[in-house]
Amino acid sequence: MNHVDWPLSAPVNITWEITHQCNLSCIHCLSSGGQEALCELNLEECISIVDQLAALKVFEINFGGGEPLLKSFFPTLLNYIHQKGIVTCISTNGTVLNGEAMACFAGNPLVNIQVSLDGATPEVNDKIRGKGTFHQIIKGIELLAKKDVPLSINTVVTSVNFEQLSQLKELASSFGARLRVSRFRPSGRAKETWGKLKLNSSQLRELSEWLSQDPGILTGDSFFSISGEDRRELGLNMCGACKLTCCIDPCGLVYPCAFLQENEFCAGNLRETSLQEIWDFAPVFQYFRKLEPASCRRCPRFNMCRGGCPAIAYFVKKDLNSPDPECLINWSRDISLESLITAE
Amino acid sequence: MRGILNMAFRLAKNVQVRKESWGLLFYSPAQHKVCFVRSGDWLYPQYFNGTLTFDSLVGDIAKRLGTSAKVIESSIQKLTAHLVRMGLIINEPC
Repeated sequence: MNHVDWPLSAPVNITWEITHQCNLSCIHCLSSGGQEALCELNLEECISIVDQLAALKVFEINFGGGEPLLKSFFPTLLNYIHQKGIVTCISTNGTVLNGEAMACFAGNPLVNIQVSLDGATPEVNDKIRGKGTFHQIIKGIELLAKKDVPLSINTVVTSVNFEQLSQLKELASSFGARLRVSRFRPSGRAKETWGKLKLNSSQLRELSEWLSQDPGILTGDSFFSISGEDRRELGLNMCGACKLTCCIDPCGLVYPCAFLQENEFCAGNLRETSLQEIWDFAPVFQYFRKLEPASCRRCPRFNMCRGGCPAIAYFVKKDLNSPDPECLINWSRDISLESLITAE
Repeated sequence: MRGILNMAFRLAKNVQVRKESWGLLFYSPAQHKVCFVRSGDWLYPQYFNGTLTFDSLVGDIAKRLGTSAKVIESSIQKLTAHLVRMGLIINEPC
């Protein structure tokens, strides 16, 4: 039995999208960030959720959004979370750092910051994150680096920035940060841009090889299905949704992961039900814990990845029993076909 | 072996642990990793707060579970040495 299947009394970590509000309008945003939603949780409700997380001994909260630093009470909430000893990882676009946030981050062993940057040059980054954002983001990174805040730079790998990955790694190093790459997934606004921004088979192969050569590059979720065996020990090697982690949205709804925030996957509402109850009994969570895509069961790597990222399978094929279309086996097959076509 | 009897175990800096039905789940934020220890009901998080000597820890498990202290001693010694090597716990004189 793989460790990921050992039943847990509570998640190891939570992804918490604290607001939909965002000052940017990135074309690949997984949650279509923009306007604050009317239903968003207030501070009192958030604190009550933190109390639950602390009682359940959830180790880590990964904040995203939207832009979490735009939530007016975010520093207050962070301070409360840190008093409970919970580690926080904050994903920010780096453009709205203010004194209050910096005071909360600097010298705090419970804080990790991840700044999103999608290109090593303004030309490339700004195509994805918007005009003028590259310089704003770099300013933010400089500010964080000066204060020695534990920092990584996160890049969602797309066809637009693919050629700049090595430059991005160097750029991150120049600030004493590590590069973390995330998979581009077709949720939120990325549903519209999936066709244009997704990697092709050759790029996926090249990405896999590049990652194999450099274990220092951090990877986000679901890389297990597109990277080689040499990286398997470096992180989670199977989908952890509903097993190790889950996602809370700005309104208190709970989902298997940030990339599966669709009505049919909603496991409950924290305004009505406790996280413990949702974690233990939500039918959606029980379904995901047993999910083994039928189309993958004969695959030689099945026991190693169990079908890859269900979110991509769902959005591409509308079927959770489909394989992750970008998985190693799938793109290997594509390449074989491409080679045959070229040979002919 | 005698040396370890008066040692106590403490979680390494920033490491956290919680009890699960199958054993203990350690979390190391520095390594950004979790470690699954299938120890059943032998071990509890409070054994790693630095107040219980190895000797008394073994005695406590033996008393609770009715298992031979010799068997427990050998297993716990191996397990704790492994956890020390992984940077999850430290041992120190009690």
